[in-house]
Amino acid sequence: MSAGQIREPQVLDALRSVMDPDLHRDIVSLGFIRNLVIEGDTVSFDVNLTTPACPVKDRLREQARQAVLQGVPGIRDVRVTMTAEVRRPQAPDTSALKTVRNIVAVGSGKGGVGKSTVAANLAAALAKTGAAVGLLDADIYGPSIPIMMKAGRPAEPREHFIEPGEAYGVKLMSMGYLTPGDQPLIWRGPMAHKAVQQSLLGVNWGELDYLVVDMPPGTGDVHLTLVQTVPVTGALIVSTPQDVGLQISMKTLRMFQQTKVPVLGIVENMSTYVCPHCGGRDDLFGHGGAREAANRFGVPFLGEIPLDAAIRRYSDDGRPVVLAEPDSPSGAAFTEITGRLAQQVSIQAFKHIALTIVEE
Amino acid sequence: MLSPEATTPVEIRKKGGERLTIRWADAHESVYLARTLRGRCPCAQCVSETTGMRLVTEEHVRPDVSIAAARPVGNYALHFDWSDGHTTGIYSFEYLRRICPCPACVGADAERPPL
Repeated sequence: MSAGQIREPQVLDALRSVMDPDLHRDIVSLGFIRNLVIEGDTVSFDVNLTTPACPVKDRLREQARQAVLQGVPGIRDVRVTMTAEVRRPQAPDTSALKTVRNIVAVGSGKGGVGKSTVAANLAAALAKTGAAVGLLDADIYGPSIPIMMKAGRPAEPREHFIEPGEAYGVKLMSMGYLTPGDQPLIWRGPMAHKAVQQSLLGVNWGELDYLVVDMPPGTGDVHLTLVQTVPVTGALIVSTPQDVGLQISMKTLRMFQQTKVPVLGIVENMSTYVCPHCGGRDDLFGHGGAREAANRFGVPFLGEIPLDAAIRRYSDDGRPVVLAEPDSPSGAAFTEITGRLAQQVSIQAFKHIALTIVEE
Repeated sequence: MLSPEATTPVEIRKKGGERLTIRWADAHESVYLARTLRGRCPCAQCVSETTGMRLVTEEHVRPDVSIAAARPVGNYALHFDWSDGHTTGIYSFEYLRRICPCPACVGADAERPPL
């Protein structure tokens, strides 16, 4: 067969055998194939994924290549370029935060479980993959993102909006920017409500693939404001392995469920202590509790982060460990969890039904 | 206990200010008249916060009350501006499904205070 006879439909038919493992549909009907060019016996195309943080990127590339090589006679070379474009849930255009595609809330039941550490590392890891990322520190009680990300440039008020700060390619806004230095925020509910609304809607976020919101612990004013002000794509629950932490985390999980915010998954922090001297492992707070809880509630378990002195050291230094030491056990755990989180966000974006009120 | 499908809307239609129709993920359809909906407003002015007793019922609202504006609240509720100036109610989808006025649903579940 001469190479000139190869036609586009043949290539697309061959590619239909490649399935996206999360969306359970083939990559052609999902519209992932772009810029298909056939030149003689060489075929090149882009596979446009739903997130640059996709953990199965390399596997899909190889599957697509093999599918065409084996499925279309006469082909000698297949060139696959992996690209990504983060889709947004279909939301009405009138929705607040039009230029933000996905809003991910990071919550916990009690304080001190490492919510902000997780939020900062996820945001940094997402930005590292090439996504446009914002991080809103909505913890009015203990805003810690300015320390953990050592914001080079803090947020600045402009005429009609606030210009976000930036660090490691992540746009930043923190409740901590609203008071000078070490002054606490002493607010009644309505003040917290207004501040959070303004941090969501009054900040010049620009085009974002992901806006990560670091929530205060528990289920309070800030949570209600968030779920009532914007369509939240999903929530991530951070818990420690021991029972008391978990039980309270499950209240937060139920709050998100009651307000129809999909739970993207649970992360177990402070999971296992690995002794830096002897390499021995010790489960200081127990182990595996969050995985069990995730199974019980039927939500994805996204991974475990070990108790690692490097996390504390780099956090105090203003550098997320996932960037400072990506190959350390905790750095690797964050990278893995980021990939799984991005998968879950893509799944939600495809499942989401637009909430619009149609005039009859 | 209502299933997630029973409280997830797939289509929300409004006819002028008089009527709201919600088609749910479990294929049920609820049709609400403005006056009924206004009379079941779940806000703290219409339902006593301490006793849970309903203070404003359909009898208290104008017969010609209409929906001036409606918008979604996050993912989980609807908010209405009423023609009588009342604006404080947030109707969660769970609440809306509970108060579905169709003959099959009426009496199936008592009115519950909203989230």
